[in-house]
Amino acid sequence: MNKKIVSIVFLLIVMVSITITYVYFNQKEADEKKYDDSGKTVNDQDLANEIDDMFIEEDDEIEIGEIV
Amino acid sequence: MKKGDENMKKIVVVLVLLMMLISITSTTLADEEAGEDDQQDQVDETQDQEEVVEQETQEEIKVMNTSLGAEIRLLQLKKALLKNILKGEMAAEVLKGLEFDKSGLEEILGRMMDLLKDINETNASSNDSVQKFVEFKKEAINLTKEFRETVRSLLDEEQLNELRERIRQMVCEQVEGLDKYIRNRIRQFNRNQLYRLYGLIGEANNSFIEEYLNGNITLGMVKLQLCKMINQMNRERRYEIFSELKEENIKKKINAEAFIDQMHGKGKGKGK
Repeated sequence: MNKKIVSIVFLLIVMVSITITYVYFNQKEADEKKYDDSGKTVNDQDLANEIDDMFIEEDDEIEIGEIV
Repeated sequence: MKKGDENMKKIVVVLVLLMMLISITSTTLADEEAGEDDQQDQVDETQDQEEVVEQETQEEIKVMNTSLGAEIRLLQLKKALLKNILKGEMAAEVLKGLEFDKSGLEEILGRMMDLLKDINETNASSNDSVQKFVEFKKEAINLTKEFRETVRSLLDEEQLNELRERIRQMVCEQVEGLDKYIRNRIRQFNRNQLYRLYGLIGEANNSFIEEYLNGNITLGMVKLQLCKMINQMNRERRYEIFSELKEENIKKKINAEAFIDQMHGKGKGKGK
């Protein structure tokens, strides 16, 4: 009986820690992707990324795999 | 005393038998689990590969909202397929020299040629060009895989490496003309995009665009000049241009995602 309770508590602890870790890392990633909207300032890298998305690189190729 | 010894022997035999049974059972179970793990790994790997291809395709169809963008993607697919057909033909010839049966490979090459013909006949300006591109690309990947697996079943690793080395250089030379043409079309596509960007900025640098079209300056230099131009503007104007670019790129991304989802729906429907 005691063993069962200990196992359940242990499982609960593991599950809660996984959830907290997952939420923490996802939140961090989402924060990093944001740009400052309130002050209407634009990060140089964000601007460069948007410009990149407008063009096609000249050495761009379509991958269908190697035949041999 | 003798009876006691006999009983003892019987117990030992039973115990040994039991231990053997347990060890055999656990070994079988472990093997089955290992087998299941291997199968699961293979399934996971295939799924991962499919996801990567899907993401790449989604990126590729983002520019297909214009007929020039669609034409470029179809030309790029044609080039990739043509390269593989040429390599495949050479591989089949080498295998013939080694006295292998190449009929299976020739049949796959025939289907690849039919696909190439379909790509050539596709009108980039038509409404279904994106759908056709996605279908053709999928078929090209499958045929390439089928050919690769057939060759691998016939040759060992050493022979395969030798074959790869023999066909590498020759094919590059044969698709050079098409490669140049694609680069030219990409420059024209980028020129159109440059005009759109200059339209947003409010001033155009025509000589710069001409220099880029003639190949005197690279796309990297063009992008750098654009960034400099926008960075010289005041904060509000910079933000305005950035927002417009972002909005346009998000729209293209959403359209591409919706298209892939729609195609998935269609595929599932057909499967049922």
